[in-house]
Amino acid sequence: MTPGKKRLSYSYYPGCSLHASGREYDISTRALFKALNVGLKEVPDWFCCGATPAHNVDELLSLSLCAKNLSLAEEVEGDLAVACAACFSRLKTTQHHLKEDDNKRKQVEVAIDGAAALNKPVKHILEILAREYGLAKLEESVKKPLVGLKVAAYYGCLLTRPPEVPELDDCEDPSIMEDVLRALGAEPVKWSHRMECCGANFTLSRPGVVLKLSNAILESARIAGADCIMVACPLCHGNLDIRQKEIKEAYGAPDSTLFGNIFGSELHGGSAPDQRDVPIFYVTQLAALAMGVASQSLGFESVITDPKPLLRDKQLL
Amino acid sequence: MKNKLMHLSNETMNIGFVKKVEALSGSSVRRCFQCGKCSAGCPMSAFMEHPPNRVVRLLQLGQGQRILAGRSIWYCASCETCTTRCPNKVDLAAIMDALRKLSWDADGPSKESYVQLANRLFIENIRTYGRQYELRLGAAFNMKSGQFLKDLMLGPKLISKGKLKMFHSKNKNIADIEGIFKRIEEMRKKGEAL
Ligand code: SF4
Ligand code: SF4
Repeated sequence: MTPGKKRLSYSYYPGCSLHASGREYDISTRALFKALNVGLKEVPDWFCCGATPAHNVDELLSLSLCAKNLSLAEEVEGDLAVACAACFSRLKTTQHHLKEDDNKRKQVEVAIDGAAALNKPVKHILEILAREYGLAKLEESVKKPLVGLKVAAYYGCLLTRPPEVPELDDCEDPSIMEDVLRALGAEPVKWSHRMECCGANFTLSRPGVVLKLSNAILESARIAGADCIMVACPLCHGNLDIRQKEIKEAYGAPDSTLFGNIFGSELHGGSAPDQRDVPIFYVTQLAALAMGVASQSLGFESVITDPKPLLRDKQLL
Repeated sequence: MKNKLMHLSNETMNIGFVKKVEALSGSSVRRCFQCGKCSAGCPMSAFMEHPPNRVVRLLQLGQGQRILAGRSIWYCASCETCTTRCPNKVDLAAIMDALRKLSWDADGPSKESYVQLANRLFIENIRTYGRQYELRLGAAFNMKSGQFLKDLMLGPKLISKGKLKMFHSKNKNIADIEGIFKRIEEMRKKGEAL
């Protein structure tokens, strides 16, 4: 996509979550792109990318599903914009592997009965905001700066790892989310858990794992003084937002578990753990809010941990 | 396992299995020098009986069955931390995928049937509908795992928030997906794919 006079325009792969439990990510992405006057056209009849379950047990199936989606995306003009970190990772991984391995590429081309579209650039929304639209222009476009909002930018696993696949930012010390937050006028906090795993797809089969890992993330954000957490992945959002009440129940009382004990006694000087609600925002919700998009178009009513009291408090609603 | 002496013998040593893992993952297991960096960063190692570095060590010793008999591979979250940090470029995340596939193909001796069940339902949904709908996935999982009450209270709340769709439709081009599944099965039957 050539920057400059030509209007930026993208094809769009929302992925399954954005049409269901992560619908506010989809709604706010569309609202944000409209506000920025960037084109976004959904790839018709896209399929599930296979996410973790497919590559977990059948790499060839996973590569083939993604290759099929990439060839469907060829029909729509513009680089492929992806919001879900997991879909993004799968699509990029497929291009990476098929470029490196002729044998795999041949098998995949038999499976999808056609050529794999290896050169369609796949871009994450963050990359589009920070690099293609550009931080300077983003800052200029802000109508309602998010002043006073302390945000813990949460990268999770797949946005930056392994480094040769997403090519988004440094794999141990990224800054793209904090850069975007600063451009929006918000205040990114320094915190310890920005790249720790939330338990990802164990939400169905092993919820206990999710509760433990997500609790550590929420706790770390609270300790750093964050008002909220910003994510770029519907799985992270689901684990941190939907399960927040359960997490509090499981880890709330100081002596309920060893883990609760550690945080309860050492980090809080012996007092009970901090039980504040931590609203979880998608990057596109915060960006669109800063662009002056009406909050009704951002899907806040779909969120479990209500962000409205915080936004009202900061005079952002 | 931890404190037991491990006896290596011809019966437990299976180099053919290790070669399969290397072919599937495209990663060498011999390169590992047991620094432990992978396990140090692994968010799931606390839940595993063999943390990632020990999985590689067991492979080096040809002990594939010991890995498959345990739960480690089904507790890996595919977060790619190990692969990112290994100083010897051992692609452990890909090795975990390969091990899960081999367990899956053998209808594994793994104890972690819940994770397998969730994966199986997810993949069946792709084949039948083209996309996922979490309500269908969650309901099927609860039925088949016998956990009828699990997350029951979460369900209505999510539906009222518009997070779970009650109704869904199939992709119009669903025949294309069936074609992909069929052609992969055929390739495997003819030995043209792993
Ligand atoms: S980080 Fe690499 S070399 Fe070190 S123990 Fe793990 S696999 Fe082996
Ligand atoms: S990919 Fe799996 S084994 Fe590797 S660090 Fe993540 S959870 Fe651990």
